[in-house]
Amino acid sequence: MKTINKTIKHTPKKQHKTWYKLDLSANVYPTLQRRNFSNVFRLSVVLKEEIDPDTLQRAVDLTLPRFPAFKVALHKGIFWRYLEPNDHPGPFVMPDIINPCMPMLFKSNNRYLIRIYYYRCRISLEVFHSLSDGSGALKLLKTITAVYLRLKGHEISNTCGVLDINEPPRPEEMEDAYIKYASSRVKRPRSQGKAYRIRGHREPFYTLNIIHGLLSVQEVLQKARSYHVTLTEYLNAVLLYALLEKQKADHVFREHPVALALPVNLRNIFPSDTLRNFIAMVYPSVDPRMGDYTFEEIITHVHNYMRFYINDKFLNADITTNASTQQSPLIRIVPLFVKDIVVKQFYIRVQDKQSTAGLTNLGVIDVPEEMREFVDYFDVLMGQPFSLRTNCAVGSFGDTLSINFTSTIIETDVERFFFRKLVQEGLHVKIETNRDMNRSEF
Amino acid sequence: MSYCVNCGVELDKTCSVCPLCNTKVINPNQPVDTVSPKPYPVDKGYVDSGIRKETAILMAVCLAATAVVCGLLNLFFITFSHWSFYVIGTCIVLWIFCLPIFFPTKAVFRITLLLDGLGIAMYFGIIAWLHPGNGWYTAIALPLIILGTLAVFFFAISMGHPRSSILSQAVILVAEIGIYSVCVELLTRRYYAVPMALSWSAIVLTCAIIIDVTLVTILLRSRLREEVRRRMHI
Repeated sequence: MKTINKTIKHTPKKQHKTWYKLDLSANVYPTLQRRNFSNVFRLSVVLKEEIDPDTLQRAVDLTLPRFPAFKVALHKGIFWRYLEPNDHPGPFVMPDIINPCMPMLFKSNNRYLIRIYYYRCRISLEVFHSLSDGSGALKLLKTITAVYLRLKGHEISNTCGVLDINEPPRPEEMEDAYIKYASSRVKRPRSQGKAYRIRGHREPFYTLNIIHGLLSVQEVLQKARSYHVTLTEYLNAVLLYALLEKQKADHVFREHPVALALPVNLRNIFPSDTLRNFIAMVYPSVDPRMGDYTFEEIITHVHNYMRFYINDKFLNADITTNASTQQSPLIRIVPLFVKDIVVKQFYIRVQDKQSTAGLTNLGVIDVPEEMREFVDYFDVLMGQPFSLRTNCAVGSFGDTLSINFTSTIIETDVERFFFRKLVQEGLHVKIETNRDMNRSEF
Repeated sequence: MSYCVNCGVELDKTCSVCPLCNTKVINPNQPVDTVSPKPYPVDKGYVDSGIRKETAILMAVCLAATAVVCGLLNLFFITFSHWSFYVIGTCIVLWIFCLPIFFPTKAVFRITLLLDGLGIAMYFGIIAWLHPGNGWYTAIALPLIILGTLAVFFFAISMGHPRSSILSQAVILVAEIGIYSVCVELLTRRYYAVPMALSWSAIVLTCAIIIDVTLVTILLRSRLREEVRRRMHI
């Protein structure tokens, strides 16, 4: 394994200054940063009692030193960006806002790249994607919640992803797992071809529309099993169906395949304890130009796609493609500002165009047994999409399946097709939103 | 609990309309709960732009230092002409142009548009003062700068209007181009003491009128307007 944590000795008197390289995925996110966009996602836990902000702040202060991957600031080098431990005061808990996942300027908020909010019974953690992915951030949120409950006088054990705040951080939590496991002898092509792009009217800056659906895990699981697929495959198929319906309703001049950008948690395939990014993207898609698909056909197609692509060989080839780019001597000597321009253009022209929507499933979220009675459910938000589109994030806790759609467009067509399909399938759906429904645009 | 009659989803008790299809909730058994807190907060968050102030200070110091040093250099050492006025003028214009970046609010942006015009007029004034000619500054440059600034200012105001659309903005822009070209031709003719008549600007004005009449017709006919918006997705 390559060294990822470097130590620079300035003078014998000075303290060793640690810095961290950004992992493979993390290098891309800062280049996409705009005045009105940052790659930020949000995880929330809804407890059964109102949050006490002072206790929450103490819990954050006690927890964060155990998570050096999150207590960092992003800096620019000549060739790459890097992370440095951040000793500024903070991050401070704040009352929640209606427009989550706001752009995260690297120099504001005392240079912290995480935000913690509270609203009634909900604790929300927003993370800039360069620091970690959903699984890594979930461990931080679980630990903060466990420490918060301990401060409230409850006994919570350090199991099920709750880390012991009294033990020092383990080196494997900071490793760049991509480099460790990228060993394929063949590289897969990056481009998957253009996909259908959702059309809609852009909301003004500082608006993020959320439509939140709550379902019963058992009901959805039962339905998925009736099709002989997993819950993720079933929800993938429903979203693809909704996007196909949207494309039909748009009366587009030229049809395109409908594709989802689906991050896969590589920790389930390669053994790694890293708290940093370790995901790969797969793109399940349906091409309506080949003919009309029934819902059952979409499900079968998604099921076969997932079985074929989500395995260690294909995903290894995927991460090897990215790793080889980063390790290429030619690319390494290119100045950062040139890299920024090239990566951004590649993302805008290729990467962003190859999917219609994003879907992430954090899976079954578990907490220590003593903690379960205090938690209502967990919530995942994918944050602001880079282009005009809708992103969907799924997470389940106990018998509550939480499905969040986030978008920066006024139209709710995709969400409507999606939830109506679930209702047609006989599932009970409860809807909440942060949208102001009394506006004239509706 | 209330359900949407169109979508079949259960709605939060504080929802007055279905978020998916905008159907109004009318449930005599359970009226919309307007007292309980909503599932999401109501306060809007804004990005802390504190660093912009520091950058603004840095920029101001750099420009001021450049202006002062060049002024002193011109005064005591390189004294062959008033060259430092160009540098000082450029520094002031640059500072005015950068104001909206440092203070990104709509109000400041509109005010700085007027200041931009003032800055440009001042810079041309410096050139006119250092190179006195045939009154080109007051006869052509100043009126054109004032007209141009006013055109940009009104266009910016129209963009900020809540009922403004791309079509209405296009109407204003095209009209401004037509009027401005007429003014350019008339001022030029007056400066060169040529008989006041329209030639090339009449063609521009005619095109502008045709485009504007078409656009206004589209704007006034709601079905036509919706059709254009749907087709062009604007």
